[in-house]
Amino acid sequence: MNKEELIIETENLQKKYITDTVETTALAGVDLKIKKGEFVAIMGPSGCGKSTLLNILGMLDSPSSGAFRFLGQDISKATERQRAKLRKENLGFVFQSFNLIDELTVEENIALPLAYLGVSKADTEKKAREAMERMGIAHRRNHFPQQLSGGQQQRAAIARATVSNPSLILADEPTGNLDSVHGREVMSLLSELNEAGTTVVMVTHSPSDAEYAHRIVNLFDGQIVTENLNVRRHATELL
Amino acid sequence: MVQHYLKSTWRNLTRNKVYTAINVVGLAIGVASCLLIFLYVQHELSYDKAFTKHDRIYRVVNNLIVGDDVEKASITHAALAPGLAGDYPEIEAATRMIDWNKKVLRLEEKALSIDHVFFVDSNYFDLFDYKLLEGNPKTALTEPNTMVISEEVAGKFFANPLDAMFSTLQIGGDSYKITGILRAVDAAHMKPNVLISLNSLPAELRERFKSNWFSTNSYTYILLRQPDLANALQAKLPDFVERRVAPARGDTKERVELYLQPLTYIHLNSDYLWEAFPVGNKSYIYIFSFVGIFILLIASINYMNLATARSVKRAREVGLRKVVGASRPQLIAQFLSESVLLTLLSLLIALVFVELLLPSFNSLTEKQIPSTYFTNPTLLLLIIGIGIFIGLVAGSYPALVLSHFRPVDILKSDKTPQGGGAMLRKALVVLQFTISLVLIIGTVVVYSQMHYLKKQDLGFTKEQVLVIDIPSGDSAIVSKMPVIKAELLRNPAITKVATAGMIPGEETGVIIFNVERDGKMTEKTMNTIWVDYDYFDLMGIPVKKGRNFSKDMPTDLDNGFIINEAAAKALGWTDNPIGKRIGGSDTTSGRVIGMTEDFNYKSLHSQIEPLVIMLAPENSGSLLARISPGHFSETMTYVESTWQRLAPTHPLDYTFLDDSFNQQYRAEEKMLTIFGYFAGLTILIACMGLFGLASFMAEQRTKEIGIRKVLGSSVSDIVLLLTKDFALLVLVAIVLACPIAWYGMDKWLQDFAYRTQISAWIFILSGLAALALAILTVSYKATRAALTDPVLALRSE
Repeated sequence: MNKEELIIETENLQKKYITDTVETTALAGVDLKIKKGEFVAIMGPSGCGKSTLLNILGMLDSPSSGAFRFLGQDISKATERQRAKLRKENLGFVFQSFNLIDELTVEENIALPLAYLGVSKADTEKKAREAMERMGIAHRRNHFPQQLSGGQQQRAAIARATVSNPSLILADEPTGNLDSVHGREVMSLLSELNEAGTTVVMVTHSPSDAEYAHRIVNLFDGQIVTENLNVRRHATELL
Repeated sequence: MVQHYLKSTWRNLTRNKVYTAINVVGLAIGVASCLLIFLYVQHELSYDKAFTKHDRIYRVVNNLIVGDDVEKASITHAALAPGLAGDYPEIEAATRMIDWNKKVLRLEEKALSIDHVFFVDSNYFDLFDYKLLEGNPKTALTEPNTMVISEEVAGKFFANPLDAMFSTLQIGGDSYKITGILRAVDAAHMKPNVLISLNSLPAELRERFKSNWFSTNSYTYILLRQPDLANALQAKLPDFVERRVAPARGDTKERVELYLQPLTYIHLNSDYLWEAFPVGNKSYIYIFSFVGIFILLIASINYMNLATARSVKRAREVGLRKVVGASRPQLIAQFLSESVLLTLLSLLIALVFVELLLPSFNSLTEKQIPSTYFTNPTLLLLIIGIGIFIGLVAGSYPALVLSHFRPVDILKSDKTPQGGGAMLRKALVVLQFTISLVLIIGTVVVYSQMHYLKKQDLGFTKEQVLVIDIPSGDSAIVSKMPVIKAELLRNPAITKVATAGMIPGEETGVIIFNVERDGKMTEKTMNTIWVDYDYFDLMGIPVKKGRNFSKDMPTDLDNGFIINEAAAKALGWTDNPIGKRIGGSDTTSGRVIGMTEDFNYKSLHSQIEPLVIMLAPENSGSLLARISPGHFSETMTYVESTWQRLAPTHPLDYTFLDDSFNQQYRAEEKMLTIFGYFAGLTILIACMGLFGLASFMAEQRTKEIGIRKVLGSSVSDIVLLLTKDFALLVLVAIVLACPIAWYGMDKWLQDFAYRTQISAWIFILSGLAALALAILTVSYKATRAALTDPVLALRSE
């Protein structure tokens, strides 16, 4: 595998939580390589370390030991400030519980990452409008999150995650709070983004969601137990 | 970005109405109180600064020293001003004010009793540059029988005050032409209503003034050429006394020392006797400043506490903003701009409050603090600056706490971070209640002291005594006094009448007596009052030894003296003072004929001092009448018609002895009222904060309450559970507040010679009241939380 193509590379990634007397190992040596443009699903039972891994990949958390390279750059020793900068320039997040800010309208929520990037007002408006149109929620732009259905909220969240054209989208159970119809809608949006070139890493419990991925990584007790190519997805792509 | 902050701040404020109301209204009340106090303090500190030459104007006062007795008198010899101005070229001008007290001014049929009438030198306005609405300050007071009156007095005679110009008013038998109308200055230690040209006094009297170094009658003010000449001039004053004063006074054993007081120093610092107007009290300035700062502190604490408590709710937002790229400084900026915006909003409301409350506040403080202070741009900037400062200080802690959250901890829905700084929050609540309690206990102590003073046995019966002002200058009325007294006594409801030179509560005379001590005559300065034959009987003051003044003893008029017990003690006449020799400086034939029990002829701030009572039925300022209870209005009608019939030239001017005596505690009464209001406000603001905290706590513990109820907890168990933490904080505050309040109030009581005991009950009751209030506040929220259906509570999680 050509190193240049890797967006994420981890080696023997470990994460331990120490509370008072108990030491919990969340990740026990994870080696993971993700290529640019890939769609990877991480699966596994509750407590296997999926979310911990995703948080580390999203630079919201740091590993206890091991190497983590993002676009070839070693992140494991980066400062919070450097990680914040990488995060806002390269990453987009989608959460199970949408996590929109209640006090901001749909449009303002979507424009928020651009505000922190210091994008000009005109550009912000343009990009936010494009993102909303892409996600089909432009007609709801002046509504507040709680006035939207779950599916609409998650589409707004995806619009927010993608408004700054991140190279990597991290999705933590993106359909967990949605019914199956809205769930499928969200998954096809993520697929479309992936087809347009964005790398997607998604944690999920749902085998049907995992079907959208190129590759499924199974985690158990903080270790990767199996890594499968998604034959059906590859097959459709080959057609 | 700023626009973004403003928008999200505004939405946050409007979405959480209870929280916003508590903060904005609480802070607005705090800021408004603080601003009112600030205006009050600034007003007190601005006394006499309205006169443009204030930094060059000094008042000359004198200490009159006899042996160990020092009498500090603000009135000086009339010869002083011309003497100083003639001798010292560094004095640009010197001017005198002679207090003529209260006079009846008459315009045709309209007669009004006006107080604070002064004779002044014609150069008066060279020093005190009042704004004259009419008239020329250079010439207004040059001619004899001219006067300048205040706009307010003019308004009492004329619908349009300016029409008073060039009219002629009568005082006694003399006419005075109005040659100027001045706009009064409220923040001045002298607030004259009427200024009469000193040249109106008879020429020979003015001539005598030039060499009279015996009697004091003038307030003396000098204008220096440079402000910094004062110290040098002060150093020359002993020489002036040596050269000019002492030789003129001959071999008197009384020594005179002269001192310069800066004009702006007088109002808050002068401790000299016979001020024409009551001076201010510097310690109240300090007390009020502290109270103002405390109220603001309590209101700011509310903001800090509610913001940190609410941090739980804001945590998710913080996490999200961090995820999408917000840096910590950006978040801090956001929260700080939120608190500054909130403070400025409160400030705006506070300014409205101040505008609305200023008239009532003015009547409470008896000041005329102008609201035009707000048109002063520096002050306005200062206020806005203070607002931003409070916003930054109150917002800094929540900003630090909130921006510290790690998104990882927050965004997983099953984890809620604890509201930051629970310990600090508790400490701040304790601080709030400690301050509130100190103020409450203070208020109660002041109240009980006032109550104590009023209930104190003064040694005379002050109730049911009518005090009618006798116009001393009007000999026609003075000579009719015996007739008026007899006429009043014809009414069965009037049981006794008497006249007196001064009544208890008024300043007494101070005279140097020659008294017999160990067989020799020595000098002794003592307080003196003049009374008539019926005074002791009317006042209910028992003559303990010897006898009362008697009409059968003609010698009593010149040679009979009655002293009080304190005088007997001070002079060492302990076994029998009767028959001891006493007299003024020029007589030795006087004898003590009686000794009264001690009575409080001065306020209870001071112990009873030696007093000499002399008989002078003609020399009276007040006519006293004891009235039986009941039939009050009929009796007053009778008094009024009798007065009108027998003294038609003067309107009846009366008070009641108990009222006028209690006037001496007016400063304290005022302080009590103001203190009471502000203490009430602090506890209100503190309780508002507590209410806010209790709301958030109940919200935060919804799940716990639900589980407890499912497991069988009763409503009262839960109310107790939620309330007891807060109750504990108030208990800690009580423990802290008691010694502080005790210390402070003990110091305050030192000002009184007669003081109430600070009883333990005051602390217990104040503490219980605060505790009850706090529990009531919290339990309202707690009860509502406890009554919630547990199913709803658990489902919401």
